This record gives sequence, C-alpha cells and structure tokens, in this order.
Amino acid sequence: MKRILKLNVNGEDLEILVEAHKTLLEVLREDLGLTGTKRGCDLGTCGACTVLIDGKPWLSCLTLAAAVQGKKIITIEGLAEDGKLHPLQSSFIEKGAIQCGFCTPGMILTAKAFLEEIPHPSEEEVKKAISGNLCRCTGYIKIIEAILSVSGREE
Amino acid sequence: MRLPKFEYIEPKSLREAVKILSAHPSETSLLAGGTDLLVNMKYGVVKPTTLINLRSIPKLNYILEEKETLRIGSLTSLHDLYTSPLIQEKFPILSQAAREVGAFAHQVMGTIGGNLCQGNRCRFYNQSPFWRSVRPPCFKAGGEICHVIKKTKECHSTYCGDMAPALIALGARVKVIGPQGERIFPLKRLYTQNGKKPLSLRKGEILKEILLSQSSGKSIYLKWRWRGSIEFPIVSLALYIEKEDNKISLSRVVFSGVGEGPLEISEIEKSLLGSTLEGSIIDSVSEQVTKLVSPMRTSIYSPAYKRKMAGILLREGLDKLK
Amino acid sequence: MRELNIVGKRAPMLDAWEKATGKAKYTDDLSFPGMLFGKILRSPLPHAKILRVDLTEALKVPGVKDAISGKDIPKKKYGIVPKAKDEYALAIEKVRYIGDEVAAVVATSIEAAEEAISKIRVEYEALPAVFDPLEAMKPGAPIIHEEVPDNISATIRKEFGNVAKAFEESDFLFEDNFETQPVNHCPMEPQAALAMVDHQGKVTLWSSTQIPFFLRRNLATTLDIPESKVRIIKPKVGGGFGQKIDLYAKDFCAAFFAMRTGRPVKFVYDREEVFTCTRQRHPMHIYLKTGMKKDGTILAQQFRVVADGGAYNSTAPLMITLACFFIMLPYRIENLLFEGYHVYTNKPVGGAMRGHGIPQVRFAVETQLDVIAEKIGIDPLELRLKNAFQAGEPHPAKLLVQSCGFSETLKKAAEAIAWKEKRGKLPFGRGVGLAGASFPSGVSNMSHISSGAIVKIERDGSVTLLTGAADIGQGAETVISQIVAEELGMQLEDIRITAADTEITPLDPGTFGSGVTLRAGNAARMAAQSAREKLLEAIAEKMEVTPGELEIKNRRVFLKENPERGFSFEEAIKIYQYSDRPMPIIGRGSYFPPAKEPTTLLREDGNFSPAYSFMTQAAEVEVDPKTGRVKVLKMVTAHDCGRAINPMLVEGQLEGSVVGGMGQALYENVVTERGQVLNPSFLDYGIPTAMEIPSIVSVEVETNDPEGPYGAKESGEGTQLSPAPAIINAIYDAIGVRFKDLPVTPDKVLEALEKKSSS
Repeated sequence: MKRILKLNVNGEDLEILVEAHKTLLEVLREDLGLTGTKRGCDLGTCGACTVLIDGKPWLSCLTLAAAVQGKKIITIEGLAEDGKLHPLQSSFIEKGAIQCGFCTPGMILTAKAFLEEIPHPSEEEVKKAISGNLCRCTGYIKIIEAILSVSGREE
Repeated sequence: MRLPKFEYIEPKSLREAVKILSAHPSETSLLAGGTDLLVNMKYGVVKPTTLINLRSIPKLNYILEEKETLRIGSLTSLHDLYTSPLIQEKFPILSQAAREVGAFAHQVMGTIGGNLCQGNRCRFYNQSPFWRSVRPPCFKAGGEICHVIKKTKECHSTYCGDMAPALIALGARVKVIGPQGERIFPLKRLYTQNGKKPLSLRKGEILKEILLSQSSGKSIYLKWRWRGSIEFPIVSLALYIEKEDNKISLSRVVFSGVGEGPLEISEIEKSLLGSTLEGSIIDSVSEQVTKLVSPMRTSIYSPAYKRKMAGILLREGLDKLK
Repeated sequence: MRELNIVGKRAPMLDAWEKATGKAKYTDDLSFPGMLFGKILRSPLPHAKILRVDLTEALKVPGVKDAISGKDIPKKKYGIVPKAKDEYALAIEKVRYIGDEVAAVVATSIEAAEEAISKIRVEYEALPAVFDPLEAMKPGAPIIHEEVPDNISATIRKEFGNVAKAFEESDFLFEDNFETQPVNHCPMEPQAALAMVDHQGKVTLWSSTQIPFFLRRNLATTLDIPESKVRIIKPKVGGGFGQKIDLYAKDFCAAFFAMRTGRPVKFVYDREEVFTCTRQRHPMHIYLKTGMKKDGTILAQQFRVVADGGAYNSTAPLMITLACFFIMLPYRIENLLFEGYHVYTNKPVGGAMRGHGIPQVRFAVETQLDVIAEKIGIDPLELRLKNAFQAGEPHPAKLLVQSCGFSETLKKAAEAIAWKEKRGKLPFGRGVGLAGASFPSGVSNMSHISSGAIVKIERDGSVTLLTGAADIGQGAETVISQIVAEELGMQLEDIRITAADTEITPLDPGTFGSGVTLRAGNAARMAAQSAREKLLEAIAEKMEVTPGELEIKNRRVFLKENPERGFSFEEAIKIYQYSDRPMPIIGRGSYFPPAKEPTTLLREDGNFSPAYSFMTQAAEVEVDPKTGRVKVLKMVTAHDCGRAINPMLVEGQLEGSVVGGMGQALYENVVTERGQVLNPSFLDYGIPTAMEIPSIVSVEVETNDPEGPYGAKESGEGTQLSPAPAIINAIYDAIGVRFKDLPVTPDKVLEALEKKSSS
C-alpha cells in the first residue's frame, strides 16, 4: 500500500507517494531522479549507495525510505553549496581520486562524515573509515591522499 | 533486488510493539538498523508480513551509568557505543568489538540490540533465491534438510556476531520486555545453540537493554578475518580474565563463528583457574581448545581451519592479557 | 621535438566534475517514459537439456508485458572471436553452467519482473557435468558443445627455435607445475543495458560496454538485423577491466524486447549475476620446463597450459595466443615450445581480464626464475638482467620492439625496494621480491583495429573532437583531448569531445588490448594535425609566409622567428573565413597499427603489437608466522610506458592495477562447488578494501616509442602482470616457503609453515 512520505532531501522538504517496502536508494533514484547515489551491490557491502542521514553515513540500499522521515538526508547532489564545490569534491577532482566515478559519491559522503568526526585523522584512520566503500579503479591511494589533503579544512 | 511487500508499523512505545509482535510473532519482524534483516529479506529467506520499526520508539538509545550498573539501550548504535567515553574507559573490549563490525556505515546504522539478535549464517542460506534454487530448501529456509550435514535432523547455521562474545565475556545481562512484563537474565542464555531458532526470546518478547556490572578484570576481543573490514569473523574470541595474587580467579572464553551460538568454553575456563599463565599452560589450552570447538562447513572456510584459528586466537589473547 | 604544453600535464579528468557532483549518467541512471524493466531466468543446473519452458504463469503476473525463452529468438550464435562463436543470447536446447540464460521477462516494474521470473516453469533433463578441465579433456568426458567432442575449444602449439636440442645443451633443467584461480573483474557498476526502437525499426542501445563498435556487430548478429539498424551509445561506464567486452544477454534482451514491445526496455544485472554470469579471469594449470646454462642464460622453455574456459569461448583463441607470445618478452627466449588448451567445463565463463591470459603464465615464469636463481646461485635480479631483452634486437618470434626500457625498470625497481640491502637480509617474516613483465600496446580486436577521429574547428573558434574511443573510467577522453589540444595550441578546456556513439563517431576498437592511447590517440593527433594545416595555410597566405614558419600555441598563431607577429586563435579563424575557405575546418585521422591480428599468429609469425610496454614490480611483505597473514608493505613499479601523456592518470592506472594484482596474489578467488559459485558477493569474495593497501611507489622509466603518439605506450594493463609473482617471491624471501598456486591465503601459509617446521 502506498503512503505519503515526508522527506527532507538536500535541504528541501518533499512529499512523495511510495510503498512501504521501497528502500531509500530506490526512492532517491527512481522517484526523485537523484541518480548520483549508486547501486553497486544492493546488499550493503560496497558502499556506493552511501548517503548522509543527519550527517552520518547510511547505506541507502538497506534503509527503508519510510524510516527516515523527519531526518536530514544529503545525497551527492546536495553537497555543493551555492554552486561551490565542497572541498572534498574539489580535492577528489584535483588529486585524480576519481576514475570510473561509480564509488565516488559514496566515498565522498563517507569521507565528509568521517572528517566531521575526526578533523585531523591519521592515514590509518582514513583507511578504516572508507574501508566499506569499495573501489576497483584507483587502488584507494589517491582517494586517501584527497581526503588527507582537506583534513582540517572541514568546518 | 527488491524487498517483498509488507505492512510497515512505527509503534510509539515498546509496549505497543510487544502487542503487535505478540499477535503474529512468526510473521512479524523487528527492524532496528536493518543491515542484517533487510539483506535477508532481499534474499527472500525472511518474509515478514509485518515489519515493526523499533527506531520510531523514543528513548531506547542510551548509555547510562547507575551505581554499579551500566545500562545500554538496545537501539544504541554501534557507533555511539564505541565513541562513548564511558565505554572506552570502562569497557574497552566493547568499543573494540563494535569497531570491528562491518564498516563505518554498518556501525552507524547497526544497533547493539540488532547485533545481538542478528541471524545465524550459512553458505546455503544467506543467498539469493536463484542461488538457493539449485537445491531443495534447507531447515532454516523452511525445508526438510541440512545441506551442511545431510544426515542430521537440525540446522547447523553459525552465529557470527561480534558483540555477543564480548558482552558474554563481561558477564552481561539483558532485559527483555514481553506480554508478561520484563525479565532479566544472563545474555548467554539468549542463545539456544539451535541454528533454526537461535534466540530464546519467548513469544512477543523484545530485547530492551543490556546490563553490565563494573568489573576489575582485563579483556580483549580478537576477530580473525582475511580482510581488515566488511567481513564477518571467520572465528573471533572474547577473553576476560580476573586475577587474584597474580593467579586467574575468573575467566571467560567466548568464541563466535564456530557454533550455532556464541560459544563459551567452560573446559578452558576451568583449566585456566588458578594459573599464572606462566609455563606451558598457554600451549596446552590453545591445543585443547582446537578439540573443544566443532565448527561446521557453513562458510567457504573449512572446519579444520576454524579449529586451528581458535587455538591461535586463544594463544594470542592469553599472551596479550598475561 | 617541440616543447609540449598540454601533453605531459597532470590534468584532472574532463568528467571528474560530473562524477564528483553526481551528475554523471551511467546506463542505469537513464530512463524514458513508458520504460519496461527486465529480468533473466537462469539455469540452476550445470548441464542439462531444456525440455520445456512454460511462460504462462509469468505472463499472468500483473504488469508483465512480455516473456521469451530460447526458442523465441533468432538462432544466431555470437562470440567475441568470429571463428569461435558458440553462444546464444538465451540458451537454446541446452544449458551449460549454473547461471546460463534460459528465459526473460519485461514488466512495468522490477518487482513484477522478479515475481514473474519465479513463475516460469522449466523442465530439464540433467546431463552429466564436468568441472575440472583436466577431466574434461579426457576421452569419455561429458561433451559440453556437440561440435567440440574433446571439449578443447581452442589450441595453440607454437615452437620457436629448437627446444629439444636446447634442452640437451642445457646445464640445468627445471620443471614445475603452477595453478591459478578464477578472478572476477568486479567493476563497481554492474552491467546494464537500455534499448529503444524508432519508427524505422532502428535499435538504439545504451550499454555499459567497453567496445561499442563490436557490440554493434554482435548485437546485429543476434537480433538478425543489419548493422545499420543498430546504434550503440556508451554512457559513463563504471569500470570494465575486460568484463564489459562481451555482449551479454542483457544487451540482447533489452533490444529484442524493445523491438517486440515498442517500448524502452532496461536490464540491469545484480551483483550476483556479475560474479556468476559474466566473465572471469581464466584459471590455469601450467607446466613449465626451463633449460639453463651455468652462467644464467635461459636456453629454452616449454609450456603446457590448460585454461579452464568454463561453458563458453568468449576470447578463448586470443587469450591463449597472448599467453604464448608474451612468454617471449621481456626476456630473450631463443627456444620456446608452447602448448595451450582452452577447455570447456560446466562453470562460469572465462574472458578478457586486465592482462588477458598473461598474468597466469607470468606468475609461473617469474616464480620459477627465483627457484632457478637460488639453485644456480645467482641473484634473482642479476638473472633477470642477464636475460633482459633489448630494443632493436632481432626477436625470435619476429616481434618488432622499437623501444624497451626493461633493464632500466629492473635496476630502478630494485633500487627503490632497497634490493641490495634487504634481499635475504631481513629478519624471518620480512622479505622482498621482484618480477618483470611486458605487454602489448594495442592488439587487434578481430579486424576492428583501425581507429578514426574527426576534429572540427567551428566558426567561434571552438574545437570539437569526435572519437570512437570508449572511456570506461581510465580517462581516455581526457588523454585524447590533451593530444588534440597540444596539436592545436589550445587549452584542454577548449576541447569538446563526443565519444563512443556508433552513429556519430568514427570506428574504433574500443577499450581492448591496451591500445586506446596509441590507436585513438594517433588517430586524433592526425585529425588535429590535418585541421591545423588547413588553418595555418590560410594564415600563412595572409602573413605572406609559408605554413612551416608558423607556430600555434597558447591559443595563438604566430611566426616562429618573431612570436610577436601573429594572431589570437579567434582572429585566425576569422582570417580563415574571410579567405573564402569552407567552414567548418574538419580534420580527419585514421590510424591502422603495424601489427597482425593475433589469431593469425596461431599459424604464422609476425609482429603482435605496434609497441610494447615493460615493467618491473618489487614487493616488500611481512608474514605473521603465527597466523599466516601476509601484509604487503610496499609495492614498487618501475614502468616503461613510453611518454606519459597524463602522469596523474598513468599513476592512477598503475595504483589500481597493483592493488588488483595484490588481490589476485593474496585475497581473491571465485570458489565453486559442482559448478556453483559459493561466494558471489563482496562480503565473501576478497576484493581488497582500503585496509589492505600497501604504500605504492611508481618509478618512471621514460622511453620514446616511435609509433605511439608523443612516444606513449600502454599503461594500465601490463602493470597487473607481475604484482602477484613479486609478492610470492617476497613471501619466499620472508619465510622460505615457495607457493605455486594462487591465492596465497593465510590458511595456506600456516599449513606450509607447519609442514616446513615438521620436516
């Protein structure tokens, strides 16, 4: 049975009509057209579908859309403010941390949540933080560099 | 992979949740973090017609110190648990174990209660409908056979949680709420060691909180897996030791990944009693434990390898707590 | 050579902004009104006759619009190698592995399609199955394809020199057996396809493909329509590594259902399908015999390679040809006898994967070289240096090696890993190892070897590049644009690129055989040069000089002798227009590399590739003798990739390649039991996470290849050949145990250490 959900996505209050069994990933991609959130495994092990919920990383493929009403949902599309890229986005671009780009949205959002918690991390802490976001292209090296290079600049 | 259809309910209180759950316990599932349940639902091995979202209930997320007892609300996330200065200071083993669950997002989503109640795992069970269509359904999936041990009459799926061994090693108790009210019992007794129905919760019961008494011993959690993230333990060990006059006066040795539930090995605990951990005792119990655990081939790792690793982990743990 | 402005720069990828902001569109991100969603029913049996497929109940599911089985489709086989076609888009009559496609449905929702799949009833007659290639080769084994009664679907037997004689003349003979495991590519984007049909019956397919033009050909074949009725568009692709070379059922089904229903149709694979039903690196059984002289000269090598191909051919003949020919580099092997067999089994299908047949044999060679070095008392580095091939030498297999920095890569890698200080000198549990390799820069993709490009300079001075090159995340579009910008004296951001649309862009072999930069880069360079010449001719006329006296750089056209005299690019375009020359300025380029089609090399000798890259990889590892865990601490790659057009992207290729190679050495294995994949998920399949990665050092060894654009050669694939043997050799240095089968997991290390201490 469909029901009206009130979601706050990227700062915008939305009302949508969806069935209860829809995951947040499905609603973002299929109902809201926010395809920046990627479906890599659909079983919560690759991290490509990571979004921020109240500032923390969540796997949207294992989250019911109905269960996140009243929370602030940020997807990769909502990260840049007033057309200005988030420092992590710029850093990923400049450091060559993006190849095929499929892991990038989840990776950047995970990194954002992590840096807000630990603004000056060690390399080992960065590795652990992103270890649930799989990447087959980069070998993670430039991703780690990109995250370390903005650490401390997060406010 | 889509979730099957279900009725979705957001109760306002535990009492309300208990009432709904009691009505149709076999067709109702409780949703906490969702990292275990929703995967099983996508795989079609758990098919609730009603899903109760416990996160809608206020005030189940807490870590409170009251006199001698620490109370952890069952909806406390693993992330909140290991970032809590109180936990880090008084029960570092919990912080350690919680950091080893899945990865960052799983720790944010996953709750302590959900983790304790996570389903047993088996290579024949945690698979898609297509994968499982190669064989008839197993006991756990509602069938009449165990593919791990064909002759057996029961399910041998394996408990693979990280938090239960650590909490059992600390002697934790749990409070559950049900239609008859609340009851408190040792966490160890939450587990039946029955693969098909691994939890001893009675009809309509919900895990409400975890209770810990302050303790004086040393503890460690060792999780063995091949990659440093994501994976469940191949074998893991939680070890707790109290000493008096440099001799072990109390120990708890609890494994995950080797049995149908978290496994406390009382034979080893007896062997350790009174020991200073000097001499050959570590060698002998590490050898002994490989014969006391009897893991099944429920993953891609062989039982012999799991037994061997149980011994290696025990040796490492005892060396570290020496 | 003139000084370069754009080539050689660490420029970010052109599409990095789109990818960082979530705007980049991959196939599954596209949708059209009225679109239907498809799902495929797959065989639960490893080998069986299909007796009956009943779609009735599936068609009754609300929302289901159409359903088909193998008997509804044109009986047209396809395959990546024309003479090895052995596959139908949906199984007809017989299934050959668990996961073979049996039927498909489309519905208005994914839920309905998934439900409908579960309602299809199939009657099978189970056939005896065979899972071990060595068993499958024996007489009396179950026959998987009727036309191949011995299950050996591709063979190569090639001898260079005289191996028997060379073995007689050898002072030492070494014989070893090696085994490698199946490895999945694990692109983060699962395979997807979206098709639409226009009023004239033309099919447009958006597909996660790495070779659009070849997909056009195969799709037309399977649909039984002319190629002119098929248009392939490659949107962003989330990694391929060889797995997105083949046509898959999802491509055919999307197109076929779109034709049948008149509606847009999308198919997206689940991760399990990616693991089980696409392609994987061929597991191999390798016997290797080497004849050596006392002084460390390799006299001869003999190989017997049995590749487990799984149920279908895919690239079979090409794969074993590559394995054979790349024994012949980077060492001087005067005498080689290579017998290779590609054998059918009732298992997941082997295909092209980063390195394509070579990593397996490289593992054998490089591991055995260390065995040899120890036995005859030569340092493994010296042994390799002694036998290293040099540029310009006559090659026993007639490969034309015009640039070769192999010796230098050996020396530099050894230096960077502190070989002299560490080899044999570290405490127990720590060790270093190295291994060398060579790779082609572009092989023929079954007659698709030509690459074309068009460069247009418009009235406003903007530049448009049309290339068929398929960027799957490696940055091909960026590198090719850099080349065009360099030739036209523009900035990188001035170049607009349209790529990989078979209707608009010129023919290209796609991302295949490590030739994109060389082939498409050369074509684009030619096109840019031709446009530039046209422009300069007009300016020369205006300035009353010859075009040769002009230079074009930093968006200016000027006199070489007197750079003050000249025009901005915009002014130059105006001058061109006012000289009554036709607009737009169009430059065309077509490049055909001087190399033979690999499968003809099965019969005759010849040059394999226009250029060859060389590399040495060195590893430092730490082995915990208590648990058997191997941790790679450091990986060094010294890489002769010619000139790096974009060093940042080359590094990125190398780092990803090294981590993938490490995965193959230590973590990754597609485990099967009676043909069923036991670990078809990221949870159970050991793709490395960020926790596993070592520090990675890359050492540049630049050579200038005459054939590559600006001297560029291959950079992304060869670097996955030798990480595994380098790591395995380092493990030997650390604990004195020699592993001859992959992956070297902690349980194996423990067992080997126990054996060692008890003996």
